[in-house]
Amino acid sequence: MHTPDGFLHPWMAVAFIIASGGVLAYAARKLRGTVTPRQTQLFGMVTASIFAAQMLNWPLPGGVSAHFVGGALAAIVLGPYLGALSVALVVAVQALVFADGGVLALGANVWNMAIVQVFGGYAVYRVASAYHESGAIVLAGWASITLAALAAGIQLGLSPAFGSELISVVTVMAGGHAVLGVGEALLTLVGVRLVDRLDAVDSETVEGGVAA
Amino acid sequence: MSVRSFAADDSNRRPLAVIGALVAATPVFAWAASQVGYAEPLDVAAEMTGASAAALSLNPGLLPDYTVPGLDPYVGTFVSALVGTVLCLGLALRVGAALQLRENGE
Repeated sequence: MHTPDGFLHPWMAVAFIIASGGVLAYAARKLRGTVTPRQTQLFGMVTASIFAAQMLNWPLPGGVSAHFVGGALAAIVLGPYLGALSVALVVAVQALVFADGGVLALGANVWNMAIVQVFGGYAVYRVASAYHESGAIVLAGWASITLAALAAGIQLGLSPAFGSELISVVTVMAGGHAVLGVGEALLTLVGVRLVDRLDAVDSETVEGGVAA
Repeated sequence: MSVRSFAADDSNRRPLAVIGALVAATPVFAWAASQVGYAEPLDVAAEMTGASAAALSLNPGLLPDYTVPGLDPYVGTFVSALVGTVLCLGLALRVGAALQLRENGE
């Protein structure tokens, strides 16, 4: 899901740097002066865990492998604003230190994984948790990665590098991640339950997130 | 809050152990993934449309592709996981502290 440089049209890359920067600045503004010391510790733990978990490439039948992304986990545990900042930090470190994802494409990658995935996953979780808590976490994990892939697919499908083959690229991206999303869904459930078990989350953050 | 003071807090011991276990597992997963090949839908879409050749490397990165130049790839994966995890933890603690309630005196 980490788009390298050269795949997106330059205007699109710049537009997403501006858009993602704006959303993250808004999130930081919403959170300023509201974060408790314990939430800061939790923010650190979740961010570090997501980076480490993203490095675990799970081998799958059929000769492919995939890794957890963690947007829904961050959203459910931290709330959408702090969750978005958490995943954005991970994506930025991956791009700048490890060259995983482009520098010009950083705005688009943050948009897909830290904004669409986090806020999308959080919205699904909030709606579905009224019916079934664990089911809501699983659904949020699956929907979040599929939505993020759909966003990436639209960006790439509109780019000349991909021959502007929008339908084909969206189908591969969203369809592929909809299948891989089963793993994301289950790992999101495991992650949320693990954080819960480690007593690292209080009821306030589980229910509504820091800023909710 | 620094990474050192975070680690010294007893309430963080168990979460840190879990994070440490994830980091320790990275070379094993890297080896397992190498046995089946690594291909995400993005790679498939790029291959299908001929976009793969358009990929550019504007930033080589300090530890490119989670490797350490000159080191065994799996050792490099472990070192990269450790460096990235500590970096993410440190940055998040800094950002969190900047957003914290001022009346808490931190």
